Amino acid sequence: MTGTIVRKEILSNLLSYKFTAVIVLVVVLVATSFFVMARDYKERLADYQLIRPEPGAPIAVLPPNPLSIFARGLEEAMTRSFEVGAVGIDVRAGQSSGNVIFSFFPTPDFVHIIKVVLSLVALLLGFDAVSREKEAGTLKLALSNAVSRSSLLLGKWTGNFLSLAVPFLLVTGLGLSVMAFDPALRMSPGALGRLGLILAAALIYIALFLSLGLLVSSLVRRSATSLVVLLLLWSVIVFVLPNMGSLLARQIVDVPSVRSLSEKRQQIWTREVLLSYGDRSGWGARIQAMNEEFDRMEEDYRLKFNRLVRTSRSINRISPAASFVDAATEIAGTGVSEETRLKSEVIRYKNQALPSLARDRTAREAPAFSYRARPLGEVLSDGGLFDLAWLSVFTILLFAAGTVAFIRTDPR
Amino acid sequence: MNETQSILKAEDLSKRYEDGVLAVDHLNLNIYPGEVYCLLGANGAGKTTTINLFLNFIPPTTGTCYIKGIDVNRDPLEAKKHVAFVSENVMLYGNFTARQNLDFFAKLGGKANLAKEDYYQVMRRVSLQEKAFDQRVKNFSKGMRQKLGISIAIIKDAPAILLDEPTSGLDPKAATEFLEIMAELKTEGKAILMSTHDIFRAKEIGDRVGIMKEGRLVMERTRQELQVEDLVKIYIDYMKSEPLI
Repeated sequence: MTGTIVRKEILSNLLSYKFTAVIVLVVVLVATSFFVMARDYKERLADYQLIRPEPGAPIAVLPPNPLSIFARGLEEAMTRSFEVGAVGIDVRAGQSSGNVIFSFFPTPDFVHIIKVVLSLVALLLGFDAVSREKEAGTLKLALSNAVSRSSLLLGKWTGNFLSLAVPFLLVTGLGLSVMAFDPALRMSPGALGRLGLILAAALIYIALFLSLGLLVSSLVRRSATSLVVLLLLWSVIVFVLPNMGSLLARQIVDVPSVRSLSEKRQQIWTREVLLSYGDRSGWGARIQAMNEEFDRMEEDYRLKFNRLVRTSRSINRISPAASFVDAATEIAGTGVSEETRLKSEVIRYKNQALPSLARDRTAREAPAFSYRARPLGEVLSDGGLFDLAWLSVFTILLFAAGTVAFIRTDPR
Repeated sequence: MNETQSILKAEDLSKRYEDGVLAVDHLNLNIYPGEVYCLLGANGAGKTTTINLFLNFIPPTTGTCYIKGIDVNRDPLEAKKHVAFVSENVMLYGNFTARQNLDFFAKLGGKANLAKEDYYQVMRRVSLQEKAFDQRVKNFSKGMRQKLGISIAIIKDAPAILLDEPTSGLDPKAATEFLEIMAELKTEGKAILMSTHDIFRAKEIGDRVGIMKEGRLVMERTRQELQVEDLVKIYIDYMKSEPLI
């Protein structure tokens, strides 16, 4: 019986202009995003070839992450070049595509399209799935048969989910196949595995919004009411809550600004230079002491900043959109945790390179910087799995609530 | 008629809505195979509520509905296997063709594996124009939709049929065609409960006619009794009479 309803929903969608328009929009957006982001990645890769440090140069710089094509996240911050000096780390601008138009019209990446557009499309499919049939009277006719309400709702859910998920996966698969022909864009099996996980998270995220659509559609009598309520909820989930979380976290955790940290460092440096004026004998020890003080300041800042990030992420998890973006960027290796780890690694590298720099500031004998992204297992155990599980639980709860609402709905 | 053979049965059935309105008041009804029972009454008399109770769309306040001996409230899915429904204003899936609509509702009614010709045959039986079989329903007239609605009921082949004011808004020709189909279904042994405002057609098709007022079945006449009594006069008299409470 459920299969009959699934087929009917898919056929109904295929015959509707609304669905055709929405799917064309998704296909065009995903394809455009792949094309533009892939080009951007290739330009950044070329840029990296130019700025990559020569052997022995105390510079830490990462090549662009191919998964940033799909989940940009903090990629821009991570591909900056970190130049280690005797008194600290100088952060320089990272790789860029050189396309200034990006500054005015940033191309939405795959994760952004899923977060904003696909969630809206899922709501557009679900908002009238029940209320429209109530209004039209077809629900009465369907329920006059020996079909349970839970089967009917499950059929509607599955049919609408497949109507959206199949074209989405097809256009993604097609985009990846086209990319595979370009050697510069070819991804390792590990990266493909991570992309598979991002897609799984995307499907759960779409399912969540579809369940929300069916719940509201079952609760109200009119499709227009359902649409208004759902648009409001969508704006709150996608835009309001993630920003609220960050604002609230800033109220809870006090973190000094990067500028104040930098000024403090500059003051220490000036003080030490003035104190050692005319007497260069203890300069090596002074540099060592200064570095230790800078490290303490940096460590204090990082501890506070990490607390801010953790608090912000915990609050943001109320929003499924924030949970999804968090999970997707962490899996892609462009998330907050990866960036925090990279910073720690750069500091570790600075301490490693420091002895050679203290001996001779112009010497080119610093060890090479090497960084390995967090393994997938670590990403998953450090919140990734929690985000996926949380999205799944949220989806199940919404579907269960929708089923209860539908069972109690008056079909007349 | 033997009561044990009744296909549709209401036993002391009452429904009071949350706003306090008593829509159906201790209704007792038995409808037998091959019988058409017409429920007459003004708007709000409780006709549609009775049908909704038989379909388990709303729970009764007291009493029980049985379809083929199955308690509708206790086992609604089993009971609904034995009943087909045609509403006042049959609304189908506008983007689907007549055949696609018929196919979907036939499958919901438990009739899988039907061939295209089976659908065409049923649609021919209700005199739907051949050219409409594969046309989208959104362009259908009300008469055409009603015919398709009765096709859905026919294809389900259930022993009981519930009709909620099926001829309302139909032109005389369409209404006559509709009643001809009802007469055929009656000869096939279906038990038919039809709520209507149309006294003349109720007299024409009904084996028994009941008049509902304020939720109560205030009068019941058989076809034979109506040969000698004037149903129009009886109906108007009941409608004019003082409120029951």
